[in-house]
Amino acid sequence: MSEEQDNNKVVYQAQSSETMGGSASPSPDMDYVRPAEIPEQDLYHGHSFITKWVFCQDAKVIGVQYFLTAVFTGIVGLILSWLMRLQLGFPEAAGFMTAEHYYQFVTMHGMIMVVYFLTALFLGGFGNYLIPLMVGARDMVFPYVNMISFWMFFIAVAVLMASFFVPGGPTGAGWTLYPPQTILEGTPGSGMGILLMLISLSLFVIGFTMGGLNYLITVLQARTRGMTLMRMPLTVWGIFTATVLAMLAFPALLVSAIMMTLDKILGTSFFMPTIIQAGEVLEYGGGSPILFQHLFWFFGHPEVYIVALPAFGIVSDLISVHSRKNIFGYRMMVWAIVGIGALSFFVWAHHMYVSGMNPWFGFFFATTTLIIAVPTAMKVYNWILTLWRGNIRLNTVMLWCLGFIVTFVNGGITGIFLGNVSVDVPLSDTYFVIAHFHMVMGIAPLMVIMGAVYHWFPLVSGKMLDEGLGKWHFWITFLGAYSIYFPMHYLGFIGVPRRYFEMYDSPYMASATGMNEFISMAAFIVGAAQFILIYNIIKTLKTGKKAGQNPWKANSLEWYTSTVPPEHGNFGERLPVVHRWPYDFSVPGAKEDFIPQTTPPSEVVHTKVEKT
Amino acid sequence: MSILKKLFGTLSQKPWEENQAAIDSTHSGRTFNLSNQMSAVIIIFGVSTAIFSLIFSGYLYSLPPEQDTTFILKTYLLWVNTLVLIFVTFFFNKISSDLKKNLTNKIKQNLIYVGGLSYLFLFLQLILWYQIMKSGYFVDTNTYFSSFYIFTALHGIHLLGGLFFWGKVSSRIFKLYEKDYVNEENNINALSLYWLFLFIVWIVFFSIMFIYNDAVIAWCKSLIA
Repeated sequence: MSEEQDNNKVVYQAQSSETMGGSASPSPDMDYVRPAEIPEQDLYHGHSFITKWVFCQDAKVIGVQYFLTAVFTGIVGLILSWLMRLQLGFPEAAGFMTAEHYYQFVTMHGMIMVVYFLTALFLGGFGNYLIPLMVGARDMVFPYVNMISFWMFFIAVAVLMASFFVPGGPTGAGWTLYPPQTILEGTPGSGMGILLMLISLSLFVIGFTMGGLNYLITVLQARTRGMTLMRMPLTVWGIFTATVLAMLAFPALLVSAIMMTLDKILGTSFFMPTIIQAGEVLEYGGGSPILFQHLFWFFGHPEVYIVALPAFGIVSDLISVHSRKNIFGYRMMVWAIVGIGALSFFVWAHHMYVSGMNPWFGFFFATTTLIIAVPTAMKVYNWILTLWRGNIRLNTVMLWCLGFIVTFVNGGITGIFLGNVSVDVPLSDTYFVIAHFHMVMGIAPLMVIMGAVYHWFPLVSGKMLDEGLGKWHFWITFLGAYSIYFPMHYLGFIGVPRRYFEMYDSPYMASATGMNEFISMAAFIVGAAQFILIYNIIKTLKTGKKAGQNPWKANSLEWYTSTVPPEHGNFGERLPVVHRWPYDFSVPGAKEDFIPQTTPPSEVVHTKVEKT
Repeated sequence: MSILKKLFGTLSQKPWEENQAAIDSTHSGRTFNLSNQMSAVIIIFGVSTAIFSLIFSGYLYSLPPEQDTTFILKTYLLWVNTLVLIFVTFFFNKISSDLKKNLTNKIKQNLIYVGGLSYLFLFLQLILWYQIMKSGYFVDTNTYFSSFYIFTALHGIHLLGGLFFWGKVSSRIFKLYEKDYVNEENNINALSLYWLFLFIVWIVFFSIMFIYNDAVIAWCKSLIA
């Protein structure tokens, strides 16, 4: 055993001097490293363009593939939102749009943004790219299955997009796809459109399950030596917990999609009661539309946290790195992520208050909904306390993080309103709800995505994005988003209903018209501002400044790869060995204001870590 | 209980403290003493449990009282199929224990039994479907039969998925010398657990279909009366 220890120490010291420049004299006992137990992974390295970049098994390439596909769907969703806003703000200019088109755009925008953009981007994009790098693995544990996972997602997107081109167009039933109207004639896209949507969702869930399997096992079983669960960056905790949620919540979407498909094509009645259509009694009978609502929201509410938890984790790491302080209350942050994840399965019926339910049922779900605010608020306090007295670098990444905190608090507070039955009932189906969920699960996670892109782009490409363009991008998006969603709260309070093609001669017509024009103008500008990022990326790839290794002076393992950008296998010949958590910033006594996770105690003997 | 203890123990650690850091640095990086294959099956177990639980919940939630739920009592094939699944699970368990004890001589034979009986189960399921359809009960007859068909179809798809991997593992085993069977131990143990899971799901389904029907409910009511 002691011989083994010595051997490992020699190996380790060689490696750590490479990464840190090797300064202090090592003490034999401090730097003990356990012999490797996890066998080296056999990796399939692609040799042709097809195996390297198309059917690739490298999680990083798969992550980028997920990212680009999700961004493509996001741009489609953005264009749909522009069309909706054109109709709402300037109906005279949207003469080509019928009510049916409008409902189709609303439906597709919602489903695309929630499932195919945000979920795929956080879990498929960031999950694939960051998990193996951050836990010190060479790749995901099942790289082939991981590759299949992406291609299932790609086919799901292709099927969804195909629904724009089938007779009748895509479904226009609203993103919640409530039966019975979803599959009945008279609803736009009730033929092929809804079928393609259901098939696409089923493919998405099957593909995601393959990916999720990889994320979970890689985090649990394939970490490098010294990387305990509580030494993982919060980004990994967020993605890990969100994946657990997704693995348990997506089956509800799959089951409801399968059942509704059978209702549509085989005439079963899982969700279909006895019903008369245009004076004719249909053959359906005995099913329950409310059952669909339960299944849908059993998926739908955890889905909010499937998007939010990775965002929480990522923003925690970004704030810590860019304020040069350890994350305040790391343990509480982990507890909060796990607690929010668990609670998210007990709140689903707060989306169904207006469907009618036993008052005690409503009381229960209102209570659980309000309880979930506790761990969420803890996280907000901890982000602020991390910033407190930090050496804050007010760069683009930090701006996005600050924007996130403010926006998330805004959206969260209106969520507390809507969690109460008596407040929710009058506000339900108004623009107040639209404003709430766009702030909390649209704009807030988007700000984290943007911050993460500016933060990790140097790792992915080896080049630094332009800060000036980044700041323009941030300020236009931030101010523009508030110009869109703050007025929407007011529209909701005066009773303007959501999902209406036009306002007709309603009493709030006068006040809604001007505001709708203003909101639409802001939406056009904010949408266009996103192309600043695309321009920035193209410009940077062509002429950008080289980033070098670890430009942000971060501690986590992804910045300590053998090359930048990292090659397949990530860490060269030897996997890194972890000696500390990733938040040792501004530690008194240390030479620099960061101590990488790979630094052994013997190299920083005079440091004193602050209690937190 | 030990998982909960492990979870709470883990979440109580203070990774920034020197004492904890010294302990953490000796960590191997693996959370559970399980192979990746076994971990994968356990996770699939979780996902599939969610799927089947939701179908069962939907079935119990939406079954209207006027539908005839006694049909299931009139067919003997479901009992036969249950027996077949018991045998499959038994043989898979035997393969795992033979591997542990290094009794490799019967493994090939038992693998063939497992595959053969599993295909027999699927074949009998198709015959059952045929019988039911011949009696005039189709997937759209009522929600009782819709649930029956969707459940048995999903169970069959899970079994087919398992058979795909059974085929891959068996083809490797048949090419190996007996002393090298141990190389496939992780795969065989994972598959064995998967088959056990499919059996448990089947038993739960079988029980629900039997217990939650008009005849049993009427019998329970008569007891209370």
